Amino acid sequence: MTQAGDQPRDDIALAGEYALHLLDADSRFAFEQRLRDEPELRNLLREWDEGLVSLATEMNEVEPPAAIKRAIEVRLFSSEKADRERWFGRIGRWIGAAALVAAAFALAMYVAPSFTRPDVGPNYLAEIAADDRSVVVEAVFDPDTGEIDLDTMVGAPAEGRVFELWLIADGAPAPVSLGVLPQTGTDGLTVPEVLRSAMLGGTLAISDEPPGGSPTGAPTGDIVAVGLLTSS
Amino acid sequence: MTSTSDIETFILRTAMGDRAAFAALYDATSAKLFGVCLRVLNNRAEAEDVLQDVFVRIWRKADRYAVNGYSPMTWLITVARNLAIDRLRARKAPARPIEDIYDLAASGPTPEEAAAQSSERAQIDRCLDALESKYAESVRGAYLEGETYQDLAERAGVPINTMRTWLRRSLLKLKDCLT
Repeated sequence: MTQAGDQPRDDIALAGEYALHLLDADSRFAFEQRLRDEPELRNLLREWDEGLVSLATEMNEVEPPAAIKRAIEVRLFSSEKADRERWFGRIGRWIGAAALVAAAFALAMYVAPSFTRPDVGPNYLAEIAADDRSVVVEAVFDPDTGEIDLDTMVGAPAEGRVFELWLIADGAPAPVSLGVLPQTGTDGLTVPEVLRSAMLGGTLAISDEPPGGSPTGAPTGDIVAVGLLTSS
Repeated sequence: MTSTSDIETFILRTAMGDRAAFAALYDATSAKLFGVCLRVLNNRAEAEDVLQDVFVRIWRKADRYAVNGYSPMTWLITVARNLAIDRLRARKAPARPIEDIYDLAASGPTPEEAAAQSSERAQIDRCLDALESKYAESVRGAYLEGETYQDLAERAGVPINTMRTWLRRSLLKLKDCLT
């Protein structure tokens, strides 16, 4: 195991600040970028987390309301099922019965990642959802490439309208457009390099817009869903 | 009481997509993790919301647990505390004091839990006692309440840069003591 003596003193203090959640958003983001590539830094952080966790004995147990467990299972499992059924229906319509073998293959390729869950570095997740869960979009942001994968679990824009994704960065005066959501179930947008460090801790929002997106550069329709982007 | 190795098994089975193991993990740990969310957020509705996010995150990231070397409760508590503080940072409005919502003092650990926790607890207490008291209090405030450097500096009555400089020095001493 890595001992504290092997580490630069700055990193020891920095990892402690990270573990305590004392870093501002930019420094936190930069530290997480280093965690992806530096196993020694990950060890150091783990030592901090293990060392501090006994403070949590002061955080007393409180039984959560029974409805929470059900709500979690609905979030995780019914949307997964609905999504798969939606894809069955869509694939059937698109290519017809003659190509069902190919469809089964395509479906397997689509579903496989949710079972194998490849080991990726720290990434950033958001569930962008309406209060009544009539719209639920899962977003996964890769800060290296700037790609944001969007998976619409529930909901769709009205006929002749589109959904547009916005970043409301911490402390920013106005939302910045990240683009119009692709019409198909799973697809991505690329976040411009200049905005990537503002993503962490930012809020993502989806607005209802005319085709092609907002003509003004600011949301013109209702905000239909919001979610906080947080590190994994 | 569910043992540490039971919880570890639940997490590893959750990583393989075992929903029954995930439900068992929830039953064994949700009260602790809800307590963590409540302590940080001081707000029942937000804590309930974050607890859902915590278990969604646990389901999705359980496969990473096997390779990260964390002990199971540390990993779970760290996930819960991080998401609760993310939520805390995303809002500005003050919440009601926690005492208004729950009588937290009434639900301490059982004697068995207390015995299991006491030796590790003694270590962090001893190490914090070795620090100057305002920095020991700052570490507790940051860990337990999710306080920022700004909050800590105001409470200690020092400029924020002074707080940062001295707390970083205290963290070096603390890490030496904990390792």
